[in-house]
Amino acid sequence: MADKANVTQATQDEKKDAPILVQMGIFAGVLFVSSLISPLFPPTFPVPVPVVGLILLYLLLTLHIVKVEWVEKFATFMISMIAFLFVPSGIQLTASLDIMKAQGLQIIIAIVISTVVLLIVIAYTTSFFIWIRKTVFHGDVSVSSEAKK
Amino acid sequence: MTATQTTILAYLGTPIFGICLSIALFLFGQWLFKIGKGFFLFQPLFVGMVLGIFVLWLMAKAFGVDVTWFYTNAYKPGGDIIFWFLNPATIAFAVPLYKRNDIVKRFWFEIIISLIIGLFISLFIIYGVSKLMGMDNNGIASMLPQAATTAIAMPISGAIGGTPAITAMACILNAVLIYALATWLIKIFHLTEPIGQGLGLGTAGHTVGSAKALQLSSAAGAMAAIAVVIISIVVDLVVPTFANFMGLIK
Repeated sequence: MADKANVTQATQDEKKDAPILVQMGIFAGVLFVSSLISPLFPPTFPVPVPVVGLILLYLLLTLHIVKVEWVEKFATFMISMIAFLFVPSGIQLTASLDIMKAQGLQIIIAIVISTVVLLIVIAYTTSFFIWIRKTVFHGDVSVSSEAKK
Repeated sequence: MTATQTTILAYLGTPIFGICLSIALFLFGQWLFKIGKGFFLFQPLFVGMVLGIFVLWLMAKAFGVDVTWFYTNAYKPGGDIIFWFLNPATIAFAVPLYKRNDIVKRFWFEIIISLIIGLFISLFIIYGVSKLMGMDNNGIASMLPQAATTAIAMPISGAIGGTPAITAMACILNAVLIYALATWLIKIFHLTEPIGQGLGLGTAGHTVGSAKALQLSSAAGAMAAIAVVIISIVVDLVVPTFANFMGLIK
């Protein structure tokens, strides 16, 4: 009897993932609503559909309208596929071969340098502001590398 | 339209060719990455891109048709289907972001201010480097908006006198480069602090950079996700002003 009680306890503690079709449905719904919101922004201030969608889903999660176990499994799967999903974008450069021929190596080198500059400058700037919080305001800056359960 | 082109359209004009080619190239890349013991140039995305361009170029030459025509008609229909799934993949980052809401709540001010100031400094350096390399105003303007995602960067590039196609190319190469080089860059520049890592990877590598950051730690992944959103809005606001200030817009 005691064992049975434990088992029931365990299944109740374990968060139940929503069926995958429900998870896909939530994603599709969020994307659809985003595609209605995105055109409302003026052309001078474009906010594309996926960015609206990211904010929307984040708000739904933060306001506890959507529970994390309703979307987590599909989200993890989609993120694990990102490198593959990006292959067509890379191959899209086939259409830009003419630009590369015309501009030569110069443009490629400029892009490589820009990428490295963005990564390093943003990372160091962030470290600087966190250092200010630590030394000037004596704030706590410790960040656990994994989320608390 | 020539007879060859009609034949190509009949056999390769459906999306399934592009889908099969993409999957085959990526799987080959994964295999190469495994037997190459993780050599950075064998990253599946990089291999898929380079080989894909090479295969399409080779096939176009073999059939005797224009490379761009062959890409648009044979590969793009399938490629577009895979590409569309980047939409749900991008909004999926709301989940790792939500799970580290503790960091967002504590550091929101540092996150926003670092992205604004960091972008400003980066713009000056990118402007300077491009100028030193002898690029014209059109080239420089094409380089400035690349921190934002493609959908934002392209119209801004056009608005400040750049070429949107070059900016799109920059956004794509950003992601491929970050995916291939992030681990190495983080090591040689000692970027140890997870919030900085995340914001940097999200800005420089967009969603692909965010996926990379998520492999480092949940904290870095969440910060990369928030960087993708905030930097896009910051670029919207800051880059046209910067271009104006630098006299790029006549």
